[in-house]
Amino acid sequence: MEKGPVWENRIKKAAALVLTGMVLALAALFIVMDKKDFSENENRYLAEFPSASLEKIKSGEYMSGLESYLADHFPFRDFFMGIKTKAEMCAGKKEINGIYMADDGYLIEEYKKPENTERIGKILGSFAKELEGQNVDIRLMLVPTAVYVYGEKLPEHAPGRADVSAGGRSQMETAEAIYEISGIQSVDCCGELFVYKEKGELYYKTDHHWTTLGAYAGYTAYCREMGMDAVSLDEMEAQVVTEDFRGTVYSKAGDYGRKGDAITIYRNPADQLTVEYADTGETSDSLYNLEYVDEKDKYSLFLDNLHSLVEITNENAVSDRELVLVKDSYANSMVPFLAHHFKKIYVFDTRYYKQGVSVFVKEHPGVTDVLLLYNMNTLDGDLGIRGVY
Amino acid sequence: MVFSSIPFLFFFLPFCLILYYAAPYECFSVKSWKNMVLLLFSLIFYAWGEPVYILLMFFATAVDYCNGRLMERFGTTQGRRKIFLVCSVAVNLSVLAFFKYADFLIATVGGIFSIPLKPLGLGLPVGISFFTFQTMSYSIDLYRKEVPMERNYLNYLTYVSMFPQLVAGPIVRYSVVNEELRTRRIKKEEAQDGLFRFMQGLFKKVLIANQAGALWEEIRALEAGAASVATAWLGAAAFTLQLYFDFSAYSDMAIGMGKMLGFHFPENFNYPLSAISVTDFWRRWHISLSTWFRDYVYIPLGGNRKGTVRHLRNMLVVWFLTGLWHGASWNFVLWGLYYGVLLALEKYVWGKALDRLPKIIRHGYLLLIVVVGFVIFVFDDMGALGVYFRSMAGMAGNRLWGEECLWYLRNYIVVLLAAAVLAFPVYPWAKNRIESMGDKGRTAAAAISMAGYVLLFLVTVAFLVNDTYNPFLYFRF
Repeated sequence: MEKGPVWENRIKKAAALVLTGMVLALAALFIVMDKKDFSENENRYLAEFPSASLEKIKSGEYMSGLESYLADHFPFRDFFMGIKTKAEMCAGKKEINGIYMADDGYLIEEYKKPENTERIGKILGSFAKELEGQNVDIRLMLVPTAVYVYGEKLPEHAPGRADVSAGGRSQMETAEAIYEISGIQSVDCCGELFVYKEKGELYYKTDHHWTTLGAYAGYTAYCREMGMDAVSLDEMEAQVVTEDFRGTVYSKAGDYGRKGDAITIYRNPADQLTVEYADTGETSDSLYNLEYVDEKDKYSLFLDNLHSLVEITNENAVSDRELVLVKDSYANSMVPFLAHHFKKIYVFDTRYYKQGVSVFVKEHPGVTDVLLLYNMNTLDGDLGIRGVY
Repeated sequence: MVFSSIPFLFFFLPFCLILYYAAPYECFSVKSWKNMVLLLFSLIFYAWGEPVYILLMFFATAVDYCNGRLMERFGTTQGRRKIFLVCSVAVNLSVLAFFKYADFLIATVGGIFSIPLKPLGLGLPVGISFFTFQTMSYSIDLYRKEVPMERNYLNYLTYVSMFPQLVAGPIVRYSVVNEELRTRRIKKEEAQDGLFRFMQGLFKKVLIANQAGALWEEIRALEAGAASVATAWLGAAAFTLQLYFDFSAYSDMAIGMGKMLGFHFPENFNYPLSAISVTDFWRRWHISLSTWFRDYVYIPLGGNRKGTVRHLRNMLVVWFLTGLWHGASWNFVLWGLYYGVLLALEKYVWGKALDRLPKIIRHGYLLLIVVVGFVIFVFDDMGALGVYFRSMAGMAGNRLWGEECLWYLRNYIVVLLAAAVLAFPVYPWAKNRIESMGDKGRTAAAAISMAGYVLLFLVTVAFLVNDTYNPFLYFRF
C-alpha cells in the first residue's frame, strides 16, 4: 500500500477512532443508563427485558424480544429522531413519517388508503339493526381531519391537496361509502367546518385532533340535523388552559423546536354537571381534568382521557332526552357542548367497553338518541369498533 | 439480525470484535482461538433468526467435510473421487431443493394437473442459497484437486458459517480463504480500511437503498390507473436503485468486516449500472454468483466451444438456473431467461452493431433492459407484473405525466440524484484524483472525507433509531 502524507494518515486514524468510540460509547451508555418504562413522546410502554426459556429461544421469540429491548432503550432516541427529521428536511422532504410539513406551521397527518371501508360500514350497520324497534334516533357523524379541511395548506403537489387528485384517498368519499353501507342517517359536518374555518383554527397544528372550535363546528352540524338550538359560544366561558400543547403529530414528525398549540376549553355556566367514570368509580363535577395540562399528552384533559363508559348528568339540561355517544377521542372535546341538551349522556369507548352498547341501550329505555362519532383518520384502523354491538 | 440494525451495530459486532482481537492465535494446542471466537459468534448470528435450522447447517457441512475426507482416503482414481463428489453435490442440492423449492414444485405440479396439493409451509433457512453454493465449491474444487482437503471440521464450519458473508454473499469459495483460515495476519491499516468499507456499505444501505425502497413501496401501492407513465418508470428506477444499493451494500459490509477479521473476500459488484451492454452488466453484477455458475456449470457443460447449438443450450441452462437461484417463483426463472436470451442476442445478432454505437446510447440501452428486468424480478405475481407493465406502457388508462410524479420527485430528488451519481465509479475516480494531489490537497481531502464519515454515521444511526421509533399514537386516546 502506498504511504500518504503523515497528516492524512493521522486524520484517518482519528476518524476511525472517533467512529469506534461512538459505537462503544453508545453501547456503554445503553448499559449504564436508567431504563424508562414509558416513552412520553411515543405514548407507549417500552419493551421489557425478555425472560429466557428454552421454548422462547427455540421459537426465536426471545431474540426478537431482546432486539426490541435494545432498540427501545437506545440512548438519546428523541435526539436521534430529531436528527433524522432535520436530515430529511435538508434533503427537501415535505412528508416525514407520514406527516406533511404544511403551510402556516401546520403538521398534518396524511390519510392512508383505507382498507376496511366495507367491513366498518357493515359493523356500524349491524349495530343499527340491533337497535331496530327501539325508539331511538341513531346518527352517524364521520369527521374529516385536517388533511381534508386544510387541503390547501398541504405542500405543493401533495396527494390530497385541493388541486391534486387524491388517488382514491379522499376522506369524504370513504365517509360517503360508509354512510351508504351502514344505512345510518348521516350528519355531515363538512359545511360547518368550512364556515368556521374563517373564525379560527379548527385543528391543532401539532396534534391529530380538532380544536374545541372544530368540535363546536361539528356540534352545530349535529344541532342542525336534530333541530336543536346550538348554544352560542358567547354564552360560554372560555379559558385558555395551556399554550404549550405539543401533540401526537409533533412527536411523530420529530421536527422539534416548533411552537406548541393553545388549548381553549369552554364551560356553560348554565349547566350543573355530574360526571361518573364507570370503570374507576370516580365522580367529578367537571368535564375536564386539568391535571393533564402539566403532562405531555394534554388532549387527555378532555373527559379524563380513556374510559370505557362515562355517565354525564346535567340537572339543568334543556330536555329530558338521553344520549348514547359511541365515539373515539374526537368526541371528548364535543361533549361539553352537547351536555346542555341532554339530561344524561352515556359516553362509550368500544375499545374498552366489552358488554355491548346495543345491550346497554335495550336495558335503558330512557335513551332517546344515539350518536356514533369517529374521525376519518383512525376509523379505518380502529379495531375496537367491533365492540359496538 | 441484519447488519444495518442497532443490535448488530452496537452490540453484536463490537462485542465479537473485542473478543476476537483479544483471543490469541494459538494457545494450549488449539490451532486458532480466533477461529473459535468467530465460529461461536457466527453460530449465534445464524441461530438468532432460525435457531432450529442451525442443525441443518451442521448436517450440510458435516456431509461435505466427510465426503472430502473420504475422497482423499479412498479416491485413488478420478472415477472413485467422483462418487464422493456426486454424493456431496446430491445432498446439497437436495437440501436446497427441499427447503427452498419444495413448495414451488408442489404449487406448479398442483397447478398443471389441477390437484389440490398442500404446501409444506417450511420457513426458508437464512442464507441457504449462499452456504450450499459455498460448500459445493469446496467439494468440486477438491475433486478437481484445486484445493487441499480440510482436516479440521471446526475450521470448515467456520468457513461456511462465517457471519459477514453468510446471509447475502459474496459467495466466498473455499479456495479463496483456505489459507487465511489457517494463517492470517490482521494488520491495523487493513482493519481500519475494513471499518471504512463497512461504513460505506452501511451508509449505502440505510441512506440510499432504504430510501429508494420507500419510494418504490409508495409507488407500488398506487392503484393501476393512479400512477402516470412517468411515475411507473420512476418506481421501476427506484426499485433498481434499491436493489443495487441494498445488495452491493451488503457485499461492502461483508468485505469490510472480512478485512477487520483478517480475511480478503472477493469483490461482488463493479458498478453494474454503468455497464454498456448486457454482457458487460453481468461481468459487474453479483460477480461471485455469475463466476460460480460459469466455473461449475457453464464450462463443464462445454461453454461455447462445442458449436452454436450446444452453446445456446448451455446458456439456456445457466440462465434458467441463475433465475431460479434468486427465488422459488416463475418470475425469477423468467428474469433469468430474459437475460439468457438477451446475452444470446448480443452474442449472435446485434453485439457487433452495438459496439459501433456511441457509448451513451449503449448505456441507455443497457439501463432500459436492466430496469425492465427488475420489474420482472420484483413481482412474483404474474398478474401484478402485467398490470405494472401496462402502467409503464401507458395502457392502464393512465396519463403520461401526473402531478404525483412531481410530488415523489420533490421528496426523493436528493436521494435519487445521490444514488444515480454513486452508481457510477465516481468514488474510485475521486480517490485517484486525490492520490495524485500534493500533500496539502490530500490532507484537506482526508479531513473533509473523514468529517463526512462521522456526520453520515450520526445520520445513519438516526435513521436506524427512527425505524425503531413507533409512536403508538392512538393507544391512549
